[in-house]
Amino acid sequence: MIVVHIPDAFIPLPQAAVYWIIALIFIALALRWARAEMREEKVPLVAVLAAGIFAIQAVNVPIPWGTSGHMMGAALAAVVLGSPFAAVFVLTLVLIVQGVLFGDGGITVMGANIINMGVVGGFVGYYSYQGLNRVFKNPYPSAFVAAWFSLLVAALVCAVEMAIAGTFPLGLGLFSMGLYHAVIGVIEGAITAAALYLIFTARPDLISTSEGVTA
Amino acid sequence: MIEDLFFIEKQTYRKSPLHDLDARAKIILSFAAIIAMVAVPYSPLVFPVGGTFFLLFVILWGLSRLSPLVYAGRILMVLPFGLFIIIVQVFVQNPYYPAFTAIADLPFGIHVYRESVEFATILLVKFLVCISFIVLLSSTTRVQDLLEGAGRLGLPAEFTLTLGMMIRYIFVFGYIYRKVNESLAARCFSPFDSRLPYRYRLRTLAYTVGTLFIRSYEQGERTFMAMLCRGYGRESHLYIRKKPMGRGDYLFLATCLPVVICTPVIAWLLSSGLV
Repeated sequence: MIVVHIPDAFIPLPQAAVYWIIALIFIALALRWARAEMREEKVPLVAVLAAGIFAIQAVNVPIPWGTSGHMMGAALAAVVLGSPFAAVFVLTLVLIVQGVLFGDGGITVMGANIINMGVVGGFVGYYSYQGLNRVFKNPYPSAFVAAWFSLLVAALVCAVEMAIAGTFPLGLGLFSMGLYHAVIGVIEGAITAAALYLIFTARPDLISTSEGVTA
Repeated sequence: MIEDLFFIEKQTYRKSPLHDLDARAKIILSFAAIIAMVAVPYSPLVFPVGGTFFLLFVILWGLSRLSPLVYAGRILMVLPFGLFIIIVQVFVQNPYYPAFTAIADLPFGIHVYRESVEFATILLVKFLVCISFIVLLSSTTRVQDLLEGAGRLGLPAEFTLTLGMMIRYIFVFGYIYRKVNESLAARCFSPFDSRLPYRYRLRTLAYTVGTLFIRSYEQGERTFMAMLCRGYGRESHLYIRKKPMGRGDYLFLATCLPVVICTPVIAWLLSSGLV
């Protein structure tokens, strides 16, 4: 499902620099969160978790019309770790490795990709989960909708960035990427909800009851 | 993607003049080439600049003694999304041209424009050059050397430590991922087997994702405890030994960097008629 990796050259350098600055602000806030909420000593734990998310993103998921996709995982990380900054932190590490080692994403556009997947994916996933969980009083449908919505909004933001760059028309971008991700987001939502169920059943202590999943 | 990690790392253990260079020299050149290529405006100026950069890349790839098939395989891995955007370009107008000339009319009111074809080619050239230098960097530099090189170039200590930890465990999770896949295959499970109910396949994959998450968290806890036992604390950082760049590294940069810096400038001067 990760088709929101914008490659190098699809955003002009000045715009890419602006996205980098915005991303760096969120990365600094994520580091501050890690120091304050997780204690600085626990940062290695998040680093190892980022490696796990990298592996999770490698899991091939069948999409009904014959193709395959991968999870974004931002909502899952944000919900389980109880903060949208967790998603920013984890996804930043993942995107650096994907961009530099695999060329998936890019160097100049990494700021934009961090915004789309880490910031938008994490914040939309976390806060929509929080809001929905208050309404549904059930974490699993809340996680399902939150993960679906986070993927959809991340894709729409990606379409807007490319329209601003002049490399993809806004209307077509919003329609095609929105429609595609609205459909495959259902799979992201289903896997997030089921994975959350497994995590909550096997290791309920991993999840903060005040901020994360509450059964 | 994680399956390719071992293949990529294997390439970095080969011997060649390029493999022997300091990671810093390769990072500087690759990043400079990418930034310079992206900085060139969306105009036909991209063609001579991209051509020169690609020639430089071909020479360097030749020096690395890696097979062209390795390059082709790596490019194919990351091509789909970029290629999709590039192909769509030929059917749409963009803000970089004042007027568009239709060269082919297709059903449903779709047109192919001459300017859009040119723009798509510009994007393709830029995209290929950028990807090529990343492939060159990651195929000739070990992950640990990349990290140490980035640290020596000034990457903040917080990042070298966390990235170092992450990189180390990516390989661990690469093995775990492989084992999980093997155990699923041993039970005749394939996520793409349409004879199995779709919900069942999704549930199995979701539990795989959840298991990977729990295993990574538990590994993180164990690592954290082990690091505490070794005296890890708030002020700890990844130790990176100071290492001066060698004469060969400076020679490499002195030869290649002027090409990367001067080519766009000369092309711009020539195209604007200033020279």
